[in-house]
Amino acid sequence: MEMNRRSFFKRSVFTLGTIISVFGFPYLAWAEKKKFKTTLTKETTTICPYCGVGCGMIVSTRDGKIINIEGDANHPINEGSLCSKGSALFQVVSNERRLDSVLYRAPGSANWEKKDWAWTLEKIAKNIKDTRNRTFVKEKDGQIVNRTDGIAQLGGAAHDTEECYLFSKLARALGIYWIDHQARLCHSSTVASLAATFGRGAMTNHYNDLQNSDVIMVMGSNIVEMHPLASKWIMKAKEKGAKIISSDPRFTRTSSIADIYTQFRSGTDIAYVGGMINYALQHDRIQKNYVVNCTNASFIVNDKYSFNDGLFAGYDPIKRKYNKDFLKYELDIEGNPKRDNSLQDPRCVFQLMKKHYQRYDVKTVCNTTGTPEEKYLEVCDLFTSTYPEDKSATWCYAMGSTQHTVGVQYIRTYAILQLLLGNIGIAGGGINALRGESNVQASTDMALLFHILPGYLASPSPDDVDLKAYIEKYTPKSKDPKSANWWGNYSKYITSLLKAWWGEHAQADTEGGYCYNYIPKKSGLHDHIHLFENIYKGKIEGLLAWGQNPAVGGPNSEKEREALGKLKWLVVAELWETETAQFWKRPNVNPADIQTEVFLLPACASLEKEGSVSNSGRWAQWRYAAIHPGDPDWHGDARSDLWIVDALFKCIKKEYLKNPGVFPDPLLKLNWDYGTGDEIDVNREPNAHYVASEINGYFIENGQRKGQVPGFAKLADNGSTACGNWIYCAGYVNWSDAEGIDKTASNYVKNELGEFSNRYAKRIAEKDEPKAQQLIAEGRAPGMNLNWSWCWPVNRRILYNRASVNQEGNPLNPTRWVIRWNPDLAEGKGAFEGDVPDGPWAPGEKHPFIMNEEGVGRLFSAKLNDGPFPEHYEPLESPISKNPFSGQMINPAIILLHQGDDLNKELNNVGSNNKFPIVATTMRLTEHWQAGAMTRNLPWQAELMPDLFVEISHELASIKDIANGDRVTVSSARGEISAYALVTRRLEPLVIMDGTTKCTVHQVAIPWHYGYAGIATGDSANILTPHVGDANTNIPEYKTFLCNIKKA
Amino acid sequence: MGFLIDNTKCIGCRACQTACKQWNELPAEKTKFFGGEGYQNPKDLSGSTYTLIKFHEVIENDKLKDWGYWKKQCQHCLDPSCKYACPTGAIEKKEYGPVVWDDTKCLGCPDCREACPFDIPRFEGNLNPKIRKCTMCYDRLEEGLEPACVKACPTGATIFGKREQLLSIAEQRLASEPQKYHQYIYGKDEGGGTTVLYISSFELEKIGYPNN
Repeated sequence: MEMNRRSFFKRSVFTLGTIISVFGFPYLAWAEKKKFKTTLTKETTTICPYCGVGCGMIVSTRDGKIINIEGDANHPINEGSLCSKGSALFQVVSNERRLDSVLYRAPGSANWEKKDWAWTLEKIAKNIKDTRNRTFVKEKDGQIVNRTDGIAQLGGAAHDTEECYLFSKLARALGIYWIDHQARLCHSSTVASLAATFGRGAMTNHYNDLQNSDVIMVMGSNIVEMHPLASKWIMKAKEKGAKIISSDPRFTRTSSIADIYTQFRSGTDIAYVGGMINYALQHDRIQKNYVVNCTNASFIVNDKYSFNDGLFAGYDPIKRKYNKDFLKYELDIEGNPKRDNSLQDPRCVFQLMKKHYQRYDVKTVCNTTGTPEEKYLEVCDLFTSTYPEDKSATWCYAMGSTQHTVGVQYIRTYAILQLLLGNIGIAGGGINALRGESNVQASTDMALLFHILPGYLASPSPDDVDLKAYIEKYTPKSKDPKSANWWGNYSKYITSLLKAWWGEHAQADTEGGYCYNYIPKKSGLHDHIHLFENIYKGKIEGLLAWGQNPAVGGPNSEKEREALGKLKWLVVAELWETETAQFWKRPNVNPADIQTEVFLLPACASLEKEGSVSNSGRWAQWRYAAIHPGDPDWHGDARSDLWIVDALFKCIKKEYLKNPGVFPDPLLKLNWDYGTGDEIDVNREPNAHYVASEINGYFIENGQRKGQVPGFAKLADNGSTACGNWIYCAGYVNWSDAEGIDKTASNYVKNELGEFSNRYAKRIAEKDEPKAQQLIAEGRAPGMNLNWSWCWPVNRRILYNRASVNQEGNPLNPTRWVIRWNPDLAEGKGAFEGDVPDGPWAPGEKHPFIMNEEGVGRLFSAKLNDGPFPEHYEPLESPISKNPFSGQMINPAIILLHQGDDLNKELNNVGSNNKFPIVATTMRLTEHWQAGAMTRNLPWQAELMPDLFVEISHELASIKDIANGDRVTVSSARGEISAYALVTRRLEPLVIMDGTTKCTVHQVAIPWHYGYAGIATGDSANILTPHVGDANTNIPEYKTFLCNIKKA
Repeated sequence: MGFLIDNTKCIGCRACQTACKQWNELPAEKTKFFGGEGYQNPKDLSGSTYTLIKFHEVIENDKLKDWGYWKKQCQHCLDPSCKYACPTGAIEKKEYGPVVWDDTKCLGCPDCREACPFDIPRFEGNLNPKIRKCTMCYDRLEEGLEPACVKACPTGATIFGKREQLLSIAEQRLASEPQKYHQYIYGKDEGGGTTVLYISSFELEKIGYPNN
């Protein structure tokens, strides 16, 4: 939104005006009174590019120069506040370290050369075509695969949604299936876990909703430091009497505002939370009606299921895999799962679960975790006290949970506990998966990941031979008339996606059906770790890295840096010269030994381009360009990634038009027109609105676009709709479908394609809406802000909200309700009011969890690779020699690269607890962001956190003769790093049991933001972390490994 | 006007430090890990650092009880001794709160700093040094905006308003949660009374703030 000053900025006034005038401002305190700095500036609203909270900001510019950036006081999430990173955004623009031209590094060269866009894009396009020609595989074992073996793509969770969508689209058209990004490394286990439990993989609630919680459990996250503005809503909850629990291996800035803090050994969360599940079951602290009606507790499991000494039925020790056929429900004659609503049948989920978690008694749990029993019981008691209908608790977690070899199952424990307490679908409840990048939600939604297509559709495998077979395989079925089974619409979403990508070429009978064959097929795992292992093996020769910095952020980063040197070519699009971009001149290497050709493309910052970002609460918010190419603050040749990907596609297409090469059809027939014509023009920015409207989807009549699809219920599988991502359908619609007629509204858009409502740009906060205020006065939970931005799906702010009402549609908690049935609405037919309900049906017509074919939340889930119930296994590197819960030391279903082939084994050592007796965990800091380029290049942020340090306890420091501020060396089986010692009481040694032996375990914590580029530099903590991942998503185990430490 | 800084709400995020630098266009200092308590940096106030979050591990019986943070800045005394110490009369106390100065009159002598009970004033420039410290963002006040650090604060740990109102808010908080707060409003009387008031879970005097 661009408006004159005093529209946004001045609305943030503190009520001082009258007082000041009384005292006679203005006065001269400085020699010459300066003109107020934001006088006569243009204001542009934007959304913070750092974490996933989604704070609003106002950028004040004058004559193309940025004068000031501060919080947007009207923004309902941050209400004008920012953290230190947000407050420093000014220096992302005003920064001499920003790239202002293309840099090119020839193979073996020790230097960059400046190049122009035309030369560069043509060269990259030729490289891509050359590699694709040579490595494209059309068929494998007689099945169509249509994929490019030799090119990989990474990034980017910090890009705009429209950019992510085009990265995804172009990669698939090129046949790239080695496609992954930050989301693999941060929350891939979340999506797998939550989808396997509730049907959707996203944060269930949103940041403002934290104010509605009675208990906020922070375990697996350091919410205050990593998502600082969430603290605003935690503090509001506290003011209303909420209790905060912080459970973390170390006392953090989150712990400092908590009512209870417990320390535990990193890697033992399943034991910890398993014990909480046991506590709830043993003390009958469950919401019985909810458990019967909204979960699969009553479902009978078939008699093949068993659990014995750490292994579930169906395990194959050679393949290290489970056969999921052992995990099926017992079916009745109609084909529906048998149920026992009394929950007494010994084979019902409830009883199997009870038996499973009986083993998680307080003593065994605390002997494993090292948490004092008394404190642990306080946590169990407080958290499970929220089982009544009028109480709520939420679980906030992030990388502390996700990044383990049992990461998916960590999150399952939270989900199970929350289902038992009736805390899903309600205000102040939920599982809040906190996202650490401004748009990692949408980069995931847009499928910058090998295993999915946009909208969480499956990435096809070779045996999904055509569209029909694909749809048949992935469409879940239910015979229960009360199951909405929303995924039953699978065919509409995939067909509409194919129409969006290949337009009129996609017809029912073309290429496997609607050009289905153009999508590259995956075989096995192509995740970040495997991607780098394969680069290391020389199997991938080209890498496109859009704003991703694996040389710092990748696990076992020295192996990944080595791997980069085996690439033939590398393209990096960035704001800065990152560690990845300059890996060939990193310390201790000779550039002449590295033959990788490197292209470093200067990209734009968030406030230099237009587009949307989705925060972790799924709010999609529009950002505007505050400056434009040629402005005084513009960085030379920098261009948006939208421009880069558009121009790159056009260059590639040109190459194929000149000479067709191998399988050119997916490229030549790709539906791609974003308003820039056929030629490359550095002064013509693609229109992000065109992209947004394609993502939403449009109707097609006689081969022509005919208006926007108003919502995904209208998508079709007969080729009459195109939709780039069905979950975003309803976000960017025809103006006539939109609410209101005010064409001065922030969401009104008019362009060559028509008049639209860009709902991402809506800016009506709840506080300014009398109707919302009225509902809140009647008990509706505050914070939804239904007319501020738009959130997927269909603007539903709290997922699974059908579970918050009874069969009559009355809220279970009338003082903090989410939806309620109002029989007077819809001309007397009745409708839900409040939040957008999970589906249009009347109360009681459908089960609440509409994405699961069972219609209920899964306490027992057969969808995962490592068992239906979470079970504690030790991390790959553990300080103890025996798992206290079973004979299975580590997750039996993970892939062990260190036992793989010779090249996998290289640089993949695993450490023993004799040599490396100390538990290490990686962490982040408020002041830095992710792999560091966006903060370690800012003088203000570098000032706050200039150097790498390692947090160690006084006890460990004393044993190792280390004083606070000393230089120390931390080593693991992968390598060693040098850091300052921060000796603190915030970490303490833990007393645990190893078998029957009592032992003391020390833990250290190391921030992973640092690297060799930027102002604030230091060794990368990921030099120490292993290449091992979870059994479901292969998310790396960054959070627990073994190390040793000594004074340097 | 003045600040009420409630350490129990502070999360130590240091948004105030950066927001101050951004609004006041202050350069970053070249810092290094100096082994101070917690995450503090820079090491001290300076001509380009007007506000600073300090970290404090509260230890009881050799165990960590709490991790506290407190915000160091000019206290904007009701009757500032720096004003009297200044040989040229460059320092002025505005009736509505801020203690400000006139650069053209400032000689850059250390008198104001020596007189300050809180050791606040610092100087910028070597050849022709001038006093530098928190101005309460008087330029923003003039436009009806709260100080940059107050606006940025995510949790309302620093709030801005009339001193009498802030005192009454502080008293209310101490009374409503006696367990949580050390029962003292720092700044009510210190330095003859300041317009920056603190309430805290621990005694500020214990971490180097001067007694009344």
